Amino acid sequence: MKCEEIAELLPDYLQQGLQGERKNIVERHLESCVECREVAGLWKQLALIPDEQPSPAGRARFDAMLQAYQAGQGSGVVTRRTTDKGTSIWSVFQWLRSPVGAVAWSIALVALGTYLGLQLGGAKSNSQDLAAMHTELTSMRQMVALSMLQQQSASQRLEGVTWTRREEHLDPQVLSALMHTLRYDQSVDVRLAALDALSRHAGQPQVKKTVLDALQEQQSPLMQVALIDQLVEWRDAEAAPGLEKLRKLPNLNPTVRQRADWAISKLN
Amino acid sequence: MLQVRDGAGEMLGVLFERYHAPLYNFYAKLTGDRALSEDLVQEVFLRILRHRQTFRDGTPFRAWIYQIARNARIDHFRKSRPQVPFEPEMAPAVAPGDPAQQQQESELLHRAMMELPEEKRELLVLCRFQELPYEDVARLVGCGVATVKVRIHRAMQELRQIFHQLQAAPASSAQRAAAQNFPPRRMT
Ligand SMILES: [Zn+2]
Repeated sequence: MKCEEIAELLPDYLQQGLQGERKNIVERHLESCVECREVAGLWKQLALIPDEQPSPAGRARFDAMLQAYQAGQGSGVVTRRTTDKGTSIWSVFQWLRSPVGAVAWSIALVALGTYLGLQLGGAKSNSQDLAAMHTELTSMRQMVALSMLQQQSASQRLEGVTWTRREEHLDPQVLSALMHTLRYDQSVDVRLAALDALSRHAGQPQVKKTVLDALQEQQSPLMQVALIDQLVEWRDAEAAPGLEKLRKLPNLNPTVRQRADWAISKLN
Repeated sequence: MLQVRDGAGEMLGVLFERYHAPLYNFYAKLTGDRALSEDLVQEVFLRILRHRQTFRDGTPFRAWIYQIARNARIDHFRKSRPQVPFEPEMAPAVAPGDPAQQQQESELLHRAMMELPEEKRELLVLCRFQELPYEDVARLVGCGVATVKVRIHRAMQELRQIFHQLQAAPASSAQRAAAQNFPPRRMT
């Protein structure tokens, strides 16, 4: 029998899906054909590439995500920050829980169900449904991020900052939570991560000003240097007076003062 | 699965136990990038949490979860195109106690896998490593079972050729894979 004919049987043979005469046909061919024998051999060898073990951090992240999600559902933590006007994620969520919202919600779910059904059925996807799903997931992630930024443990807040880094556009609430974190979080690691996350949103109102304010407030030299570097990276000319003010502080760490001088020379 | 749809958080925990390692391996074998694989696994469980209502009874759950997994990966690559040439960071894991030659062959095979075009690699990962039946894979990628078998056959032929090339010149670069593999296309 020729290779082409075997080609129809070989994949089933590899998955051990052949019996009786058909199996014998393949095995006889394998005895005489080097190429097909090699394929069968490689298939077996593939199993020798062992599985990778996911890191324990994955489980911790999952637990934190679930916890944050449930906290968000329970509306406890997140509602603290509803000062912003306009359509925040949270007000959308609240609306979805109202009777009118519930109807709209179920319509949306039917649409999503249809979308997924189409996907599974192999039909072409509807780009509108797809866009809706993306939007929904984005706000979902941001809600989780927002909730995580307000958790007790520093590692969870750090995780919250990480979640925000995935988004190109941040909801105003998330942005303001990040700015709050930058200024007031107890952990310097979390503050540094928040600065890093904010660095990508310099165009948003308040972000540069918050970094400038933080420069006057932060006591940790690590933080001060990071803030200075950020201002230089932004080439923020308005930063110069703030830097002058900082370098005149009597108890300033010498390294920080040096850095501030360097920054001033860069910005002028 | 019904319980997940009806909103029990603990059930998601059970699903996590059952699926997070296989999903991680799906991504790890596909991308060769551990950190990205961890991220994508998280993304999948977030999507399950969010979209559990869309699960319909009678659909094989595994197919549903892998559909979500594929889409999460495709969306990721759509958002952020990798700028550096693709180079698998992962040292091929090898079971302890392997004879040296077998270990070497295993490494070569792993590299050959990484040089396969994305679509073929995914097919092999699903069929061989995730051990999904051809029927499930067919539904997942949206084609007939016969087509899956033909594609498996072609993928194995190409794997064999790459494997031979690597054996002949083990130092050859894996970068060639980059041009062919990215970005992956969403198959409907
Ligand atoms: Zn043959």
